Amino acid sequence: MKNSFDEKVLDEARDWLKTNRKVVLATVIQTWGSSPRPIGSRMIINDKGDFSGSVSGGCVETAVVRECLGLIKENKLFKKIEFKVSNENAWEVGLACGGEISIFLEQIN
Amino acid sequence: MKEELLKKIIEKKEKKIEFAIITNLENGEGCIFEKDKPLDKNFEKHKDEIMSQFHKKKNGIIEGTNIFVENYIRPIKVIVVGAVHIAQYLINFAKSLNFEISIIDPRGYFASEQRFPGIKIVNKWPKEAFTEIKTDKNTALIALTHDPKIDDPAIQHAIKSNFFYIGALGSKKTHENRCKRLKESGFNDEQINKIFGPIGIKLGGKSAPEIALSIIAQLISEVYNKQ
Repeated sequence: MKNSFDEKVLDEARDWLKTNRKVVLATVIQTWGSSPRPIGSRMIINDKGDFSGSVSGGCVETAVVRECLGLIKENKLFKKIEFKVSNENAWEVGLACGGEISIFLEQIN
Repeated sequence: MKEELLKKIIEKKEKKIEFAIITNLENGEGCIFEKDKPLDKNFEKHKDEIMSQFHKKKNGIIEGTNIFVENYIRPIKVIVVGAVHIAQYLINFAKSLNFEISIIDPRGYFASEQRFPGIKIVNKWPKEAFTEIKTDKNTALIALTHDPKIDDPAIQHAIKSNFFYIGALGSKKTHENRCKRLKESGFNDEQINKIFGPIGIKLGGKSAPEIALSIIAQLISEVYNKQ
């Protein structure tokens, strides 16, 4: 139902920043086919590897966390990543539903 | 995203102001766009497209560009008539679904702050209550008292104001009688047929949380129907 004023994930990001954590926002910006979460779905990740919210139904979250930790490590501000269905290990990083999503990662600075 | 922007977004959300976050995916720059406020200079080039996507409340990348628009919209207003047990469960569901519930019930012992913490309660008869709650065609009505004295005036107001959803609790028989009364009051079949009665989708459950779930499910389906 679009983005709601009640969505708490950004408030949580601010709370993490207050405790001096580095925080990356991951936002679904494009979808093709039967992707599990709509455009605008969001997840936050901190430098400890904690995450909140979601960008898929659990299919690619692990990989997104890994990418975000990489972004923090390299001290880069943003990056676009894409996920397609992957037959060999669909349950690990691809989307088992056959959809495709593109996600924008941005570090809060 | 700059921390400053994040703080501004949270502030707008708390004030319940409709806005959009505009992000340039090429350089990571972002800004907030609000109705009737000037757009950030860096995004001037795409002003028309941004406005159009904002008005359509559409999230996504503007075609042929690297500009991403994400809208934050006001919750849908839902008026519940009857501070009954089912209403307590409706409120729990509504919290995570972007609905803003107000309760009308003239019976003070039902509509107490203790039973509905943090919810707007109007302790008046519907006719009077609707003078202080602003409603329009984007409002929904859930009538739960199945007492004609309380439900009927609220339903009549909802029909006249063209609410996108009107649901009324009660058996088939109760609903037939309700329809008859409305007809006698001068409403036509088309108007009366818009009422969902008996309210809710058929789940088979009879407990208060089950009925609340069936009502919320129907309401959500109508939210998407009207779009």
